[in-house]
Amino acid sequence: MEELLDILNGLKPGVDFENEKNLIEDRILDSLDVMNLTVELNDEFDIEITPLDILPENFKSVEAMYALITRLQDEG
Amino acid sequence: MGYTTYVYLTLFLGITFLLYTVFPKKYKWTVLLGASYLYYVAASRLWLIVFILMTSITVYIGAIWIDNINELFQCVKKVLDREQKKAFKEKLLWQKKMVVGLMLLINLGTLAFLKYYNFFAEVLNIAIFDHFYASIPALKLFLPLGISFYTLQAISYVIDVYRGKYKADRCFGRVALFLAFFPTIVEGPIARYDQVAQQLYEGHSYNYVNLTQGAQLILWGMFKKLVIADRANMLVNHVFDDYLNYSGLSVVIAIVFYTIQLYTEFSGCMDIVRGSAQIFSINLPENFKQPFFSKSINEFWQRWHMTLGSWLRDYVFYSVSLSSFFKKFNRYAREHFNEYFAKLLPATTALFFVWICNGLWHGASIKYVMYGMYYYIIMVIGMFMEPVFNKIMNSLHIKKEAKCFKLFQILRTVLIVNIGMLIFRADTLSSAWHMFFSCFHNFQFDWSIVGNLGIDIQDVYAIILGTIVVFVVGIIKEKGIHIRETVANWNIVFRWTFYIISLFIVIIFGAYGRGYDIASLIYAQF
Repeated sequence: MEELLDILNGLKPGVDFENEKNLIEDRILDSLDVMNLTVELNDEFDIEITPLDILPENFKSVEAMYALITRLQDEG
Repeated sequence: MGYTTYVYLTLFLGITFLLYTVFPKKYKWTVLLGASYLYYVAASRLWLIVFILMTSITVYIGAIWIDNINELFQCVKKVLDREQKKAFKEKLLWQKKMVVGLMLLINLGTLAFLKYYNFFAEVLNIAIFDHFYASIPALKLFLPLGISFYTLQAISYVIDVYRGKYKADRCFGRVALFLAFFPTIVEGPIARYDQVAQQLYEGHSYNYVNLTQGAQLILWGMFKKLVIADRANMLVNHVFDDYLNYSGLSVVIAIVFYTIQLYTEFSGCMDIVRGSAQIFSINLPENFKQPFFSKSINEFWQRWHMTLGSWLRDYVFYSVSLSSFFKKFNRYAREHFNEYFAKLLPATTALFFVWICNGLWHGASIKYVMYGMYYYIIMVIGMFMEPVFNKIMNSLHIKKEAKCFKLFQILRTVLIVNIGMLIFRADTLSSAWHMFFSCFHNFQFDWSIVGNLGIDIQDVYAIILGTIVVFVVGIIKEKGIHIRETVANWNIVFRWTFYIISLFIVIIFGAYGRGYDIASLIYAQF
């Protein structure tokens, strides 16, 4: 989780990622941010996020992203 | 048979609704499918139905083919060891890619050939063949009705099955209806299979709330189209067709009125389309969400023609940015550039494909390519200059949350969009260029010139008044108030007085009769 928060803070400094629960709906992260985030998460956690995984519910909060990473690591 | 004609609204929609209501639940979808093909033939040519049938049949078979490959893997994987499983999976993935490639070749190839052959032939002639005194001949090609819309729907269906989002549909009627549903065939919205296919197929019983709310939405769309857009169309045509004789405020008014025309016409048509579907209790995706309240161009395109934007995001942007080639490009950027450029370069490169597709989707000409590039360049400048803008704002002590700043952002977006609309509407790129500069020639705040723009001053006031109504409704919607539901809760006397007055406003103030043109739908040509 710490590693994920570091990536998010590096990507978008100044956002309270620990408490924000609607990152997509509140337009804090747009499709370009999600794309950059996906690339970093793929490399950092050795997973493969596909277009199918890019859904608002998978990126709406740090917990949702962590759940996605864990799922993809288990599947891989 | 346009959506604003009485033939469509009373006869076609009325009879289809009656048949849909009386048919048994299990067979209601056949009424919609029959009506959709009948509409297609009535609004187009009989033989052009071949193209939509071809798309329906190919994606139906293609999706099942992909599904069968997936099922084969599920059956066999239990008896394979890890290495064999990996090798087999790769082999099947390659087969699936071949099937998707074939689907794209047939359907996108047909669209590309019919829509872009003459454009690319002309480009190649100018670039290469003219130098050798040769040329690729131009062909007289028909563009089947709605091909740009149903092809995108068909592609999204096949790619979603390929990605494993859902399984292929074994019912041909459901796939065919999803692609040909009559309200969406002319101008969209570009719906997704999982959003609407089942809704279209399962029979819905008569529902008073949906019937009345659908009718209200149709009436609201008619108001925007007939009272505002068709009036503005006359002024816009008058100035754009004779742009060399206009300058200053006249050109500015024509550009602003075109923006009003396009918005009220396209969003009005979407209201008629969504209202037509709602009377059958079918909920179609929204295409507009008050775009002129956007604070940036990025936000504007998330609120304007939303189904095209989300289609390009899911099937172009993510397909490009998550491809293996792009992953390598990303790593290369991170190894060779500083953090700032390494983050922006891949994103802006992937965006290029989105905007070139957006431009070309709108039409086969350099003008539309430049229309896409115009927005692309503005977005790229915004992304690269963000740190500079932030520094300027900090040094000027401007707060992003301040209402004045938000208003400035909205006005800036409106200005950028109006220039984009000029490129979109002008006959050629050079005429757009000429008109842009002529805005600054002889510019005077002399309101009397509106009398020389091809329509009566009363019509200009009707457009302005209508636009104010649309604007106020937009503010109410932005506040999260559901107008139709609020009206539905009114006392029966007030409610029906409101309905009847609204209907008469459209009938009396709609632009009909001598001297008025019922303007054909702008997006129908795409």
